[in-house]
Amino acid sequence: MSKKLLEINDILVNFGGVTALNKVNLHVNEGEIAALIGPNGAGKTTVFNIITGYYTPTSGGVVVDGESILGLRPYQIARKGLGRTFQNIRLFGDMTAAENVATAADSLNKSGLVGSLFGSTRSRRDEAASMEKAHELLHFIGLDHRAFQMAKNLPYGDQRRLEIARALALNPKVLLLDEPAAGFNPQEKVELGDLIRKIRDRGFAVLLIEHDMSLVMDISDRVSVLDFGQKIAEGTPAEIQKNQRVIDAYLGVAEDAS
Amino acid sequence: MDFSILISNFWSLGLDGLVVGAIYALISLGYTLVYGVLRLINFAHSEIFMIGTMAVYLVVLQFGFTGYEDPLPLIKFIGIFLLFATVAGIVSGGSAVLLEIVAYRRLRNMGASRLSSLISAIGASFFLVEVFRKISDSKNLDFPRLINKDPFFTAGTLYLSADKVLVLVGATIIFLILNRIINHTKLGMGIRAVSQDERTAILMGVNVNRIISYTFLLGGVLAGVGSAFYMVFYETTKANVGFLVGISAFTAAVLGGIGNVRGALVGSFALGLIQQYTSAVLGYNWRDVVTFVILVLVLLIKPTGLFGEALQKARV
Amino acid sequence: MALMKASSLNLRDKFGDWWDGANPAQRTIFRIVLIGIFYALPMLNNPIIDTPETSFSSVLFYPLVMFSLMAVGLNVVVGKSGILDLGYVAFFAIGAYTHAVMSIHTPLNFWEILPFAMGFAMLAGLILGLPALRLRGDYLAIITLGFGEIVRIVAVNTEAIGGSAGLTDIPGPDSIFGVEFTVMDPRPYYWLTLTLLLVVIWGVMRLSQRKPGRAWEAIREDEDVAEFMGVATLKYKLWAFIIGGAVGGLAGAIYASQIRSIQPELFTLNLSIMILACVVFGGMGNIWGVILGAVILGYAPEKLRFLSDYRIIFFGLLMVVMMNIRPNGLLPRKKREHFQEKNK
Repeated sequence: MSKKLLEINDILVNFGGVTALNKVNLHVNEGEIAALIGPNGAGKTTVFNIITGYYTPTSGGVVVDGESILGLRPYQIARKGLGRTFQNIRLFGDMTAAENVATAADSLNKSGLVGSLFGSTRSRRDEAASMEKAHELLHFIGLDHRAFQMAKNLPYGDQRRLEIARALALNPKVLLLDEPAAGFNPQEKVELGDLIRKIRDRGFAVLLIEHDMSLVMDISDRVSVLDFGQKIAEGTPAEIQKNQRVIDAYLGVAEDAS
Repeated sequence: MDFSILISNFWSLGLDGLVVGAIYALISLGYTLVYGVLRLINFAHSEIFMIGTMAVYLVVLQFGFTGYEDPLPLIKFIGIFLLFATVAGIVSGGSAVLLEIVAYRRLRNMGASRLSSLISAIGASFFLVEVFRKISDSKNLDFPRLINKDPFFTAGTLYLSADKVLVLVGATIIFLILNRIINHTKLGMGIRAVSQDERTAILMGVNVNRIISYTFLLGGVLAGVGSAFYMVFYETTKANVGFLVGISAFTAAVLGGIGNVRGALVGSFALGLIQQYTSAVLGYNWRDVVTFVILVLVLLIKPTGLFGEALQKARV
Repeated sequence: MALMKASSLNLRDKFGDWWDGANPAQRTIFRIVLIGIFYALPMLNNPIIDTPETSFSSVLFYPLVMFSLMAVGLNVVVGKSGILDLGYVAFFAIGAYTHAVMSIHTPLNFWEILPFAMGFAMLAGLILGLPALRLRGDYLAIITLGFGEIVRIVAVNTEAIGGSAGLTDIPGPDSIFGVEFTVMDPRPYYWLTLTLLLVVIWGVMRLSQRKPGRAWEAIREDEDVAEFMGVATLKYKLWAFIIGGAVGGLAGAIYASQIRSIQPELFTLNLSIMILACVVFGGMGNIWGVILGAVILGYAPEKLRFLSDYRIIFFGLLMVVMMNIRPNGLLPRKKREHFQEKNK
């Protein structure tokens, strides 16, 4: 039985009169690529925001590797092992690619300002470790040559990949990808799929929000479907493609699934 | 701390609080309306008010009053009042529109950061204060007493005088007109639409730039009219009058819930009362400290204010 | 003006190229020569640089090096971390009053009081920051503005520290290394401040090139995302505030010890805005930029006296214009996209 690295239990989210998420249950197992799909507005990004601590749910809980993270601040949750990317790219534009990744890598050490100022042994060691990790991840993702370029100057595809590298720097137990294929052409989508598998093989579990059905069906081990804030189906890609409720929810999007 | 003054003057302090609150309300509406459509604090709005006071001063100057003559008969006074209030409204309104174009619009189109807009606004604010300081030679500009301020009605320690009645009645009329505009005109609908959801408003065919200009205009006109009431009541102005009045009006807007028109009104009257009562107890010197403390407390405890929306809506 | 900006960019690139190519020995020599020039400045006696109303040495001390020091401090808050602080004068005032009050009422001398001046300013930064830094941009700015004003109002209303008349007969620093600090000669004060400025620059640069610098920049770029990436944003914002406060307090103490008498109206909002203008104009986030900004904005009104009367008008207009045309200032943060990482 696979270990559950991430569990979302009975999450209820009410924003002023609107129920964004209605008793949603999700989980991600160790070593798997799980996908979260659903029509626009179904609440998928809200799930990510709940998981990463940006919103507090009206009720329900979130557990990461056996530990409840409810009530923790986003930066604490990040350190517990959740890294994410964003629907609209949100890099630190005026920082280099390496600095972007290093900032996340920094969170793994406890060095503080005083140490950095006076060059304590520990801070020097941590500094070297952060930079090394940054370069290593850039290499892993294929962006070595961009290391010292400003993030805002990178081409779109590289920016998306940089966001992934940055999230990986947190050594996440689960990597949360929010529409990583947006704006990619078919070739790039195939490469992205390979990259995600490579990430999974390296030991990270992945939870993926995505609209591109071919990518989802191709790489996911398990798919959950959200519609109007409720989970309406969960299963293997093959099962989901045949699920009538899912087809109805999408009403026409199902054509892309081939 | 002296409570005896507070107790013995409770009602007259209350009346003054409402009068001051009415003046604050006219200014704080400008802050709240602009915040509603732009999610930005118009830092230079206090100078829009100041410019209004200057316009009032200049208009009255033309009449050659020395300040030593008898107060005017009511009809004549109202005539002159309407004149300078209208002029101030136009001048302030126009200044506000100009301000938006010079200091904010380009940055908005460039997609500049909030920090940039804020710095631009601060620069504009300082520029205006200093220009008028130079023009006025750093002097206090005193306003002649045009209206008879002897109380015409007393009830215990409550003194009702013409100027206070003028402010309260005048402001109420303005609020009713404003309510008409916001709720029953196309412009008002546009403002409300943009305040709630700019993107959808654009999709619905609302010309956002025009709405924003009109919002600034509206806020400016209100501040101009407020400045007219201010001058009648306080009878003086100076280049940096906007600073303290602005902080009070802004605090009132936040207290009521920034972005919320009803909130601005309630907050303004509430703040006016609080200021009068605490001044009676702590002394006038500490009035602005009290105002500031209220601002901090509201922002820390209930940032949405009494009626408002969340200040920091998540946009992830 | 536009020409000046264009050429500064090319000069900067050329200098950057040279710097990258230079070896450690060359760089050290450059540094020593440059620092030497700055120390030698008060000795210059040239009508071209002399300022009409006050002596050049005096101008070097205030506003030039004083503004530079404060600009470097404010830069950490506004430029690096993106926190708009409109009440920076409060720290300056706290430092000045601490020196004034303690030197009059306690047997401690300037050097012994200095840690207290900085300490109180840092404490003020902490007290202000803890509640205020949880708020976003506009509101934080207003709160800091209010704080600056409150410090002044408290000074005016507190007779124990002089009230509106202020404090006089404040002693200067005891002599150190044989250098005497007299009322007449601003030069030792200039050298003292210059030395401390160099120390502060060293400290800030060290922090900027490491984890704290990255954290601050991330906060400035996108605070929410910084948190998602594990940055403890409140902690770093507080540190920025505290460091800015320490530098402001330091400057204030030195100022009080030179000017020998202080009044609340020396510490107005205008001064906060002037320092902010230096940061905005010179180059937000860039230490050399803000110093350049401080030097230009400090020197110009002294040299061109007509400008002095219209100083604030000019500064206000400058801020609006800069934001519209060149929001990143004269020397923007733009990093050199070379292998700079290896050359630290």
